[in-house]
Amino acid sequence: MARVEAVVVACDLVSPYGWGVDPCWDGLLSGSTAIRRFERFSTKAIRTDHAAFVSGLDSGADETLVMQMVRPLMEKNASVIPADALLIAATTNGEIDILERSVLNGVPEAAESRFDCLAGKIQRLCGLSEPGMVVCAACASSSAAVAQGAAMIRDGDRDCVLVVGCDNVSEFVAAGFSSLMALDKDVARPFDKNRKGMSLGEGAAFILLMSDVRASREDRPVLARVSGWGLTSDANHITGPARDGSGLSLALRKALQSAELSAGEVGSISAHGTGTKFNDSMEMKAFKAVFDQGSVPIYSLKGAIGHTMGTAGLADIIVAITTLREQRVPPTVGLRDVDDEAVGWASPDAWACDTAVTVSTNSGFGGINCAVVLRQ
Amino acid sequence: MNVITGIGWITDREYGCVKRQLHKSYPDMSSLRSELQDESVFLYPVKGFGKYDRSSQMTCCVAALAFYDAEMSYSESRKQDIGILGTNADGCLRSNLDFFNDFVENGRTLGRANLFVYTLPSIPVAEAAIYFKCQGPLLYMTFPRTPVASLLRQADRMIRRGESTGMLAVMASEKAAQCFIVRRMDDVSGEPISGVEEVIGITERMPPLAEMIEALTKS
Repeated sequence: MARVEAVVVACDLVSPYGWGVDPCWDGLLSGSTAIRRFERFSTKAIRTDHAAFVSGLDSGADETLVMQMVRPLMEKNASVIPADALLIAATTNGEIDILERSVLNGVPEAAESRFDCLAGKIQRLCGLSEPGMVVCAACASSSAAVAQGAAMIRDGDRDCVLVVGCDNVSEFVAAGFSSLMALDKDVARPFDKNRKGMSLGEGAAFILLMSDVRASREDRPVLARVSGWGLTSDANHITGPARDGSGLSLALRKALQSAELSAGEVGSISAHGTGTKFNDSMEMKAFKAVFDQGSVPIYSLKGAIGHTMGTAGLADIIVAITTLREQRVPPTVGLRDVDDEAVGWASPDAWACDTAVTVSTNSGFGGINCAVVLRQ
Repeated sequence: MNVITGIGWITDREYGCVKRQLHKSYPDMSSLRSELQDESVFLYPVKGFGKYDRSSQMTCCVAALAFYDAEMSYSESRKQDIGILGTNADGCLRSNLDFFNDFVENGRTLGRANLFVYTLPSIPVAEAAIYFKCQGPLLYMTFPRTPVASLLRQADRMIRRGESTGMLAVMASEKAAQCFIVRRMDDVSGEPISGVEEVIGITERMPPLAEMIEALTKS
């Protein structure tokens, strides 16, 4: 009996390039970054005054910044989301502005920043019949959520899963990453010889997964198949990746095994590519260890839309799905002088890529790694 | 079939394990760490334990108790295919407040990295993965109902799918923690505590901890 597959039947995002997948794709192809100087909060404590913001968000509004993104996104797509979808929300900081305001104003509402509160809001917004769950796997949160959603479908536990990811640029997060000396003063330059760190970004996105059986029954378009996934831990250091790339290599091998594919069948890779010295080097080691057939086109979104944290995995997967449709890999925006380790793999230009299989990878604090295999 | 091979638990003043029927009291976290070290529950020192946030300290201690209960070894020089799944009610709310309060008290001019690193609810299980060298899947999840039962069900499924050969399922907050070791029956040499389904059945009723421990001990 053929196994049940999880397929992507709908997706959308809001990114610093604007509302929708097409503006994001067009923005990437333009090669222009959405990272710019910002004024949302004072940068005197922050090592940079550059980040990638979604236009039109109001940090003074009653509604939190993530809900200002999630609400219109989900309202616009309400007609495609069935009430019996299981919600998996993915985030690293959720409605952190509630906590910020609580501390700054001395009011005791910080507990409302809890992730289950956010999940409840999204559930009610989408008209879902049951409360959902939240996944946090640091910067791999939303790709890990997609993996778990696909797993539930393949297991036959569910036939419809809605994964929603969101995070915003906040003083909380900016101060934190600044304290770790992880930020580039200007714009992140993934896989560049002279890269100096990451840039923060924000966004919200969703992917609607269904079993192929249900998708066919409901005559849903199949945008891509989630064929396999792998989740691992470096078991190494709380902020620094295992420099030999062994954790990510293992995640990639698990994902390929789960997809019943060989490395040679993968035509492109959406890398995590934060623009930090260690992450990008670690990824190249992992890619070379697994894809030993020779170079594979890779790209990163983080010089374009910044590191969108809890949304990063979903943004990467949605763009990866677009690469399968367009048969083209976007440029790595921000990249100018390709690091020796990435020559032949990463490029500041878009390139044609005739493939039916792509892989998306994310890594996060604590040494978490996630790889997801997507097929046409 | 998957089984539970070890269970550790900690409250704000007591700790123990189920299979070994261990039950002791402790005055504070520093003393707990020392006792666990002295009793070889921690097989080697936990570097940086004093700098962990409280949830991370609870997670590491309860995981050590679960390994001890399961008579399972671990080594700082050998990684193993064990994953860790964590859950709790509050995420990392306390650590978030600690970081941001400190930042504001410093005039919003200086964030402390050693506080910021704990502002992700996945960090306590990550600290445990680093110490116990667990290289399997690492996730924090929230569940709308029966969190411990749901956590165990999730861990069970992840092993069945082949995502890992074993999982630690940890529910840890600042005040209390429980850790269950879930493994494939074929991989276990000694007597397990119980099948995972039976333990899920017990925890699904969400009994108070003492009642749960008694039921698990009898199972």
